[in-house]
Amino acid sequence: MQKRNWMTRELVLIIIVVAFMLFLSVSTNFSSRSGIYSFMLDVSPTIVAAIALAMVIFTGNIDISAGTISGFVAYTAGSLAKSGMPLWIFLPAGMLIGMLLAGLNGFITVKFKVPSIVVTLAMNMVHIGFYATFLPQSGWIENLGTNFTWFGRGRFFELIPYTFVGAIAVAILFMFIMKYTKFGMSLYAVGGNRRSAVYSGINPDRTVMKVFLVEGLLLGISAVMKATTRSEVMPSVFVGRELFFIAAALVGGVSIFGGVGKIVGALFGAMLVYLLSIAMIYLGFQDYYQFAIQGGIILIAVYITVIDVEKMKKTFRRKKRHVITTGEGE
Amino acid sequence: MDQTTNTKNILKIEGIYKAFPGVQALSDVHIELRESEVHAVCGENGAGKSTLMKIITGVHKPDEGTILLQGDPLKVKDPNDAYSKGIAIIYQESSLFPDLTVLENMFMGHEIEKPLLPFFKKASMIDYPAMRKKARAIFNRLGMDLDLDTKITNLGVATKQMVEIAKALSLDSRILILDEPTAALTSKEVDTLFETIKRISGEGVSMLYISHRLDEIFQIADRVTVLRDGQYINTEDVVNVTKPQLVSWMVGRDLDNLYPKEQAEISDVILDVRGMSQEGVIENIGFTLKRGEILGISGLAGAGRTEMAQALCGLRQADSGTIYLNGEEVRIHDYRDALDHGIAYISEDRQKYSLVEPMSVKVNITHKVQDRISNALGIIDEDKENEITETYMNQLDIKAPDGEFIAENLSGGNQQKLSVAKSLAVEPQILILDEPTRGVDVGAKSEIHRIISRLAKAGKSIILISSDLPEILGMSDRVIIIKQGSVVGELMRNELSQEKILEKAL
Repeated sequence: MQKRNWMTRELVLIIIVVAFMLFLSVSTNFSSRSGIYSFMLDVSPTIVAAIALAMVIFTGNIDISAGTISGFVAYTAGSLAKSGMPLWIFLPAGMLIGMLLAGLNGFITVKFKVPSIVVTLAMNMVHIGFYATFLPQSGWIENLGTNFTWFGRGRFFELIPYTFVGAIAVAILFMFIMKYTKFGMSLYAVGGNRRSAVYSGINPDRTVMKVFLVEGLLLGISAVMKATTRSEVMPSVFVGRELFFIAAALVGGVSIFGGVGKIVGALFGAMLVYLLSIAMIYLGFQDYYQFAIQGGIILIAVYITVIDVEKMKKTFRRKKRHVITTGEGE
Repeated sequence: MDQTTNTKNILKIEGIYKAFPGVQALSDVHIELRESEVHAVCGENGAGKSTLMKIITGVHKPDEGTILLQGDPLKVKDPNDAYSKGIAIIYQESSLFPDLTVLENMFMGHEIEKPLLPFFKKASMIDYPAMRKKARAIFNRLGMDLDLDTKITNLGVATKQMVEIAKALSLDSRILILDEPTAALTSKEVDTLFETIKRISGEGVSMLYISHRLDEIFQIADRVTVLRDGQYINTEDVVNVTKPQLVSWMVGRDLDNLYPKEQAEISDVILDVRGMSQEGVIENIGFTLKRGEILGISGLAGAGRTEMAQALCGLRQADSGTIYLNGEEVRIHDYRDALDHGIAYISEDRQKYSLVEPMSVKVNITHKVQDRISNALGIIDEDKENEITETYMNQLDIKAPDGEFIAENLSGGNQQKLSVAKSLAVEPQILILDEPTRGVDVGAKSEIHRIISRLAKAGKSIILISSDLPEILGMSDRVIIIKQGSVVGELMRNELSQEKILEKAL
């Protein structure tokens, strides 16, 4: 029994990620100090955001505006830092903005019974319009000081970025939350079978509202991690990044239909999606091809981690059952 | 039965009225549930059983009437509130979370928690060891051993039901409502379930048992209450009633013949199937079917009856076999071919394979014949569409206000009639009906039988696959029995008996 449980889609994913790293180490200078550093630096915000999206997807919802929300967070953090505020002010402020905007998505979804894909698609457009119309210089802020960039650029032992340690901490915290809290369990319940969730005493609306707030909070952290690596902020660079967040969660074995998935999957899904884009650069593909090839590989990755494991499990199970029946016969 | 009359009532339902727009669903219904009793509630579809259960569990509010739980008035806000007051309901369709484990399912929504840190009592975390211990104790009580870390999706229907019962017991429920619990179980699983029911009722749990299957009521229930058209009819100790009596209470008339099979003229052979095989599923199946004949297919569930029908209709690829239609060999590669040759199949799972539930009755009836009623541009002729809809709604007596009525709002019996209508619209010569009366009530059942009979009389050939032996006995002109994928016997109408069929099938 225990053996079967080990053969999860998450394990397959981890094996793929490790194999990919080995491949890159052999064929490129990925394993050099700077290669590893830049991988960890780049992947950290995506890990946090993939976890945020995974949580939303667990409940059977989605957030297409995750990218543009991140843009608002970056702008907020940037403009506060510009006026001399430290991290312990602009990080919570960014988290708060994330919670406000994602919370608004959740509120509309729950209150007006509009599917979240519609709500967040519309909000995505509203956000982009807002950048262009209302933010000074479309939100462009430059020449930010070290009070802003020390977090994004700082590293332990000259190697491990602060943000990477932060991302791993977030991942561990949310692994714990999903398994050991009522809130975590309720996400699976709402996404898995809404009616049953109600009959188990879970309020799906409140749960969805909560998960959007948590998502916003994590997007706040993620966007600050990303923004503080540079001394200028431009909200529009975040447009479209939700596709990577969602892809990372799905590659990580989170079911788009809700109710299924693991945080550890989102963690390694984010790594795989990032490794793919790095591989493209190392292998010298042009920009144009990168997206297409990446999309194709993501499809394959989802196929490998989701579909194939299910098949493998079935054959495994059949054998197992056979063993059980003969066992009983003895 | 004198000593049972003295036992206490745990639940007393009095004078319940409930109206929905256009329907008086319940009027003056009363039931008394005694401690440790298995109390069957029966009635046709639409009799108000489900509405009554929904009122007890707080899904609906009654317009009038009181519910007393151990003498105190009971007010339930929602099913979860009912749960917390010791009333649990186990629905026909599973309410478990398929991708979560047995343990997670059992305690969903009421997980046992412990403080996260010994000195900080406010934050808490789920206490898996404690839940595990409690779950094991409950499964011991049920007399079964189950891996608590198995995902629900890996379990069979019967085991899932046990998990639901275990979940109810984990909440210390004193009243358990079972809604058609045996609908999807094999007879062996039914026995296990009944053993469990007896065991837990012996421990003081009272049960309301809803079922269409009258035989079961006699097997498991202490008392039975019959509802008809939202009215209370009668309550009686099971030992004091007979099956015909129960049926007459349910339908309000004496059904001396549940299966009004009419004589039809049976003429020449229309279908001849030879040597049809698919590895591991069916083996060398051969039979003939005559015009106007009703051919019953009997056998245990899983013997290959449905698979045989699917292979015949091109819904499943047979490895070998020839099909002669009116003496000519035909090839059927997919279901379109079958329809073109006048063979229609009505699946046992009408929700899944037959009806487009969120669409109208009209769309459901006409969507297989759209080619015939549309012009060269593919635009559908609305007059023809309405005409066909009306014809079949009348012919099958589908009780819907009009053709625009949405299929999923029909009762089970009418949905079944609709799926027959849909297949008749293609004007088939051969109609394959797979479990046509599963899950429909007694009245609708005899109506469906009447329709089948009438179709045969009109010269259609019918293949009737059914697990319901009385139905096979009552309806068939001839029966073939399938066992482990092969035909093991054939019986003519005059030599049919339950024993003979079972002898061959088992």
